Amino acid sequence: MKRLKQFFKWMKGNKRYYLVASLLLISLQYFRTLTPLFIQHTIDTILLGKESNLPGFIQNLLNADTVQKQLLLIAVVYVLFALMRVIIMVIRRFVNAFFTERIAYNMRNTLYKKIQNLSFSYHSKAETGDLIQRCTTDVETYRVFVGEQLIEILRLIFLMGFSIMQMSRMSGRMTLISLVITPVIFGISFIYFLKVKKIFKKVEEAEAKMTTTIQESVTGIRVVKAFAKEKVEIDKFNGNSEVYMEEQYKLLRLMAIFWGGTDFIIFIQYCLTLSIGIYYSVNGVLDPGQFIAFLSYVGMIVWPMRQLGRIVGDFGKTTVALDRLDEIMLVDSEYVNDSDNKPEITGLVEFKNVGFQFDDDDKPLLKNISFKVNKGESIAIVGKTGSGKSTLINLIIRLLDNQEGKIEFDGVDIKDINKKHLRENVGIIMQEPFLYSRTLYDNISIMNKNAPEDQVYQAATIASLHDDIKAFEGGYSTMVGERGVTLSGGQKQRVAIARMLLNDKPVLVFDDSLSAVDTETDIQIRNALNKHWKNTTVFIITHRITTAMEADKIIVLDKGEIVESGTHQSLLRDDGIYAQLWDIQTNVEYDFMKLDKGVE
Amino acid sequence: MNYFEEEEYQDSKFDVKVWYKIFSYMKPFKRNVILGILAAVVLAAIDTIYPLINKYAIDEIIETRSLEKLPYFIAFYVVIMFLIGIMVYTFIIHAGQVQQKLSFALRKDAFKKLHELPFSYYDKTPVGWIMARMTSDSRNLSDILSWGLIDLSWGMLMMTGITIVMLITNLKLALITLSVLPLLIGLSIYFRTKILKAYRKIRKENSKITGSFNEGITGAKTTKTLVLEKENFNDFDGLTSNMKRHSIRAAMFAGLYFPSILFIATIATGLVIYYGGMDVNSDIITFGMLYLFIAYISSFFEPVMQLANILARFQQAQASAERLIDLIEKEPEIFDTKDVVEKYGDAINFKKENWEELIGDVEFKNVTFKYSKGETVLKDFNLHVKAGQNIALVGQTGAGKSTIVNLICRFYEPTSGEILIDGRDYKERSIGWLHDNLGYVLQSPHLFSGSILENIRYGRPDATIEEVIYASKLVEADNFIVEFKDGYDTEVGEGGTRLSVGQKQLISFARALIANPKILILDEATSSVDTKTEKSIQRAIKIVLEGRTSFVIAHRLSTITSSDSILVLEDGKIIEEGTHKELIKLEKHYFKLYTNQFKSKVIEESKNE
Repeated sequence: MKRLKQFFKWMKGNKRYYLVASLLLISLQYFRTLTPLFIQHTIDTILLGKESNLPGFIQNLLNADTVQKQLLLIAVVYVLFALMRVIIMVIRRFVNAFFTERIAYNMRNTLYKKIQNLSFSYHSKAETGDLIQRCTTDVETYRVFVGEQLIEILRLIFLMGFSIMQMSRMSGRMTLISLVITPVIFGISFIYFLKVKKIFKKVEEAEAKMTTTIQESVTGIRVVKAFAKEKVEIDKFNGNSEVYMEEQYKLLRLMAIFWGGTDFIIFIQYCLTLSIGIYYSVNGVLDPGQFIAFLSYVGMIVWPMRQLGRIVGDFGKTTVALDRLDEIMLVDSEYVNDSDNKPEITGLVEFKNVGFQFDDDDKPLLKNISFKVNKGESIAIVGKTGSGKSTLINLIIRLLDNQEGKIEFDGVDIKDINKKHLRENVGIIMQEPFLYSRTLYDNISIMNKNAPEDQVYQAATIASLHDDIKAFEGGYSTMVGERGVTLSGGQKQRVAIARMLLNDKPVLVFDDSLSAVDTETDIQIRNALNKHWKNTTVFIITHRITTAMEADKIIVLDKGEIVESGTHQSLLRDDGIYAQLWDIQTNVEYDFMKLDKGVE
Repeated sequence: MNYFEEEEYQDSKFDVKVWYKIFSYMKPFKRNVILGILAAVVLAAIDTIYPLINKYAIDEIIETRSLEKLPYFIAFYVVIMFLIGIMVYTFIIHAGQVQQKLSFALRKDAFKKLHELPFSYYDKTPVGWIMARMTSDSRNLSDILSWGLIDLSWGMLMMTGITIVMLITNLKLALITLSVLPLLIGLSIYFRTKILKAYRKIRKENSKITGSFNEGITGAKTTKTLVLEKENFNDFDGLTSNMKRHSIRAAMFAGLYFPSILFIATIATGLVIYYGGMDVNSDIITFGMLYLFIAYISSFFEPVMQLANILARFQQAQASAERLIDLIEKEPEIFDTKDVVEKYGDAINFKKENWEELIGDVEFKNVTFKYSKGETVLKDFNLHVKAGQNIALVGQTGAGKSTIVNLICRFYEPTSGEILIDGRDYKERSIGWLHDNLGYVLQSPHLFSGSILENIRYGRPDATIEEVIYASKLVEADNFIVEFKDGYDTEVGEGGTRLSVGQKQLISFARALIANPKILILDEATSSVDTKTEKSIQRAIKIVLEGRTSFVIAHRLSTITSSDSILVLEDGKIIEEGTHKELIKLEKHYFKLYTNQFKSKVIEESKNE
């Protein structure tokens, strides 16, 4: 029952069309089983003067006085009848295409929306490739199921049903004989496709492994070459490639046995039916036309049986696909229970004993963090890799939610502020910003589509990006990403800065966002920025102590705790970690002394 | 992951050369091709003969009302039963093997070529493009040349067989039946081409959608922070709407195709019912003959539809073949000459026994370098670095630092001039010889999926665990590695996604050290590592670098102050050269760069205090 619900839930709004298509399909199968009867009528009734098995309403159309007229009439009716069938068939297919694609469209959009709304922690754990595969392959599996397989099952069942009905009108015994082996065919086919799935899976895994090797080898070509490991990669790939081939061979052997074997069995059924049919015909139980009709009907039962077994055996695929989709759909979006409150945010930020820990972690990433930043002030956060700096930033925009303490914007707990509203007011420039595969211009103006061109260029100039962009062949309309240029880390960071310049926000966060820019450019940018963002509250995370020292306030994090805080001056006087860092990075003589000692 | 939007390809004329090359790939497994086609021939013959047997039953047994000949009928049937079973088996096995062997051979050659091509190739070619060649193109091509080719033989032979039998048995009915054939074939080709084109559009849309999903997932954090969810969804909706439109269109073509073929066949059947019925009535032909023609008409459908399909797909496969052959035959711009390969071996077979030891003396002699786009980066560049020297390269982005390093690595070669290693032009010895002695740590490090241990060992597969740990300790990576639950066995994820950039840098550093290189290149190798860690590494490096030639590029100048020599570059020229102390005393470019780092109000203030 749960399964059934799962099968149908994606069809929402399309069930009506489904019903129409199904009814058309069923009527088509009935008409199809009538066609052999036209031949039977021709032979038995018109040419031999025996009874016709055509339904009465068609027989009535075929009355004429001479054989020639009768033949002409039946030929014409036969063609007209086929025309009607063809028209229904076309309509059925159109309706089918219509709802199938609507369903697929809805699925894709629903999934995309869902994925965007999933929380940051979900994304940081999720495997991109796996998610993409769910959104593409699994959707396709279901689309085929809904649009083709489900319909096909209906078609096969009714085709067989109507065939049996027509046959039994001619000879009950012959009908039974025609059905002797068919269940076996269904059984074999069902079991085969159920079992072969495992091998299919192995083939797929082998293929995925091979593809990954290509992908990794090609993206890491610099490393491969620099270490002269071409042979290793080629051997590895050929190994993968061979395993894949071996798995395919196994599948192939099974397939060959299945198709060859079932063909054999199907022909046994044919032979049986026909031999006995001949016997009955000779004894006058069957008319010649009926015998020919049986020839057709046997085909309408045995082949569909095998096909039916195949589809039913393949059902598991769809179930797996739907389960995988459910795994995405059943995760709560991060906007569930989001507050509607959109208070004004001026830039006063306060941390009150904030603590954070991942659910599956045994120690907290942040402990007891308290500080306050006034509107327009800047605060620098310094610390080792892993000291909790990035976590702190993720808390500010609620990519993660603190379990302990409170973070307040203008006195309002951020958990009581609408998430999107909060993020609209806090600009983050990341260390590894993501650029969309659009033009450079669009990537910069993404935050403010209506910004006049001049302003976009100006922003790029401030971010020391303008000249870089001009150097590209396509200038600002150069595409970013696979279809265009690949930007360096520094260029990406500067794009991120430029795009922030187009949208004034009360709070800005630089998450080590100038790390890949050279010193001179760094200074240039910072000078320009200081002018531009005078009234903005600024968070700076950095490794460069010279960047940190300009801040109004500096806090030093270590193992998730604030170990030092103050101004540059006071921290130097305190002679702690900060002072040590400062020494390392500035005091050359000190540096030399230490190094000399180290060497000697 | 990379997704690449497939370009539109044109229907091109049949290209004999390309097909010849592809077919010559099939030579090693000729046997499979022949057996597959043979099975197809037998099956086509059976399809032709089978209705004749039923005709025999009708005319010779039922009409004569004598069971005398029934055993013959059954015997015929049994033979056919066995033949079909065996031939279907043979057909699948061999067609499948042709497919597998062909795509294996194509992949193998293409992959090998990929590793011979220089970096300039990768600068120009997106990863997605390469992936498409390696996966879908090789699959398409081998598919059509195995199943397609063998199906084609089956269909053609069956149609020929049926036509011949029809013409022999009854000329009048044969001509009536065959009269609809041109219409059948024409319509089939028309629809197939239309459908294929529509599907191409769908595939194109589909790869865009996949790309968009990819962007939505990898860019999730950025999207959230910039609050672009709605925007992105609208763009996505545009794509899926297009997809829906194209798909429905394609389905409509497909939906018209089969019914119209069916209808034409029905007309033929109608004609046979009338004319055949008349002849039966006048005792010119038998019931069996009437049956035979009606049966043959329905046997005609499948091959006609299949033929149209295969022909249409052959056009598409040609595009795949062209691109693959193009890749496989691409001439690498950087390669070892025959003589060099003979002595030193190629990238696959090192002849280490002939390798001279690399000492590490590097010299640039009048080196000029131009990128293929045309901009000249270096002009008449000269530089001599003695073995064991530690050189730092400093300068603004675009000054030529990376170019110099890439030239040393022979990822690129000088446009003119030469680079000498240990006094000899490095082209005189193999690329493998150089790379085997090279350690290279990049700013954006690439890790392979696998454990940390495996990644470090990539530098030298036979390194012991102790050596791996020692190298990790040297670069301060051991600290965070042991913090992981699985320690050195921690999986790094695809491309190292589970580690931070700084961590990846340290691991790739350890990987380079373990290879024990004679020349070590650090290109912004520790830019994302915090200062303190970096400082500790510095001291270790100092020891590690003893006896090795090294080139260091760093923006953070504090990390290079102990270099033997610092080269300040501008526009591809060395404008200053000397030790840190010397250059500081000079109070020129380097001094400016260096003090820039600290130039700020606060420093001024602290001086005043």
